[in-house]
Amino acid sequence: MERMAEILRALFRRALREHGRDAGALTDIIILRAGDRFGPRLGAVFSNGYRAWAALHPTELRTYCEQHLITDVETLRGQLLREGQQSYARMLEAHVAEIAFREQWALVTGRMQRVRNEPPPSRLDRFARLMGFGRRSTLDIDDSKAAKRGIKLLEENLSPTQRQQYAKHRHFDVIGGKTGKRYRIHHGSSMNIDQLDKNGRRVCGWCFFPRGGLVAGDAMLAQKFALELFEIEALQVANRLYRY
Amino acid sequence: MSVHIVMDRSGDTRHEFDTGNPKALRQAEERFRELTGKGFRAVALGKDGGPGKLVEKFDPHVEQTLFIPQLQGG
Repeated sequence: MERMAEILRALFRRALREHGRDAGALTDIIILRAGDRFGPRLGAVFSNGYRAWAALHPTELRTYCEQHLITDVETLRGQLLREGQQSYARMLEAHVAEIAFREQWALVTGRMQRVRNEPPPSRLDRFARLMGFGRRSTLDIDDSKAAKRGIKLLEENLSPTQRQQYAKHRHFDVIGGKTGKRYRIHHGSSMNIDQLDKNGRRVCGWCFFPRGGLVAGDAMLAQKFALELFEIEALQVANRLYRY
Repeated sequence: MSVHIVMDRSGDTRHEFDTGNPKALRQAEERFRELTGKGFRAVALGKDGGPGKLVEKFDPHVEQTLFIPQLQGG
């Protein structure tokens, strides 16, 4: 029973990795009988049309059926779908929460960095704040203007494919100039780079960004050029974040 | 005309200079040296998102040079 749940969870993890926030709902489970070339397979079908497959061992299937007193494929499908939907709902909720946390964290660290690099307020500024003026610093006022400039500069320097990808998914892929590895830069200014394997799965995360508390557009463009033009040096200063 | 684009907190600051003007060229070269001396990386931008190229020495023929501040790990 545990083994089947594990297989389902692996399929769901794959769907969540591929589609992030846009992952669809689980709509069906497919059990394929063994064919000439393949053994039995288990498939998960999602509302966005995505399908994920995993190989099944006949003994795993038999054990599961015996434990649940299942004698036909249709009942097995129904049982797995019910279990899968519950498990997937929990995973989806946690996944969306993690994405939201990462975005929020990137925002917070970006702001902290900008504040750290902000010169101390002048006597006039301090006086103005004391008098109740200037509750918003010039940083806040210029924030959106700077952010827009940063995004414009980024978009001007992305390749057509990267631009399309960024417009659609708020991330774009970059090929490392030295190693040929594929990286995915998500919108943000820190903790926003994933290294992908040849199947597009995340291997680990990298965190590096330009000094000076730059806006997200600038940070992403700096990360893109760094990976394309001086990948090894960039990774030497970067922190490797996590493994999957 | 060429331009130096320096990334900063305002998004970027652009310094345009006339490559036919020796004084403007000197200033541009000085800016290049100063920024790269501070750890900025200079990248010659490609056209329409084409691949960029690292620039180690001041080159007046590069139309658009982007200056990226030194990187740090997070």
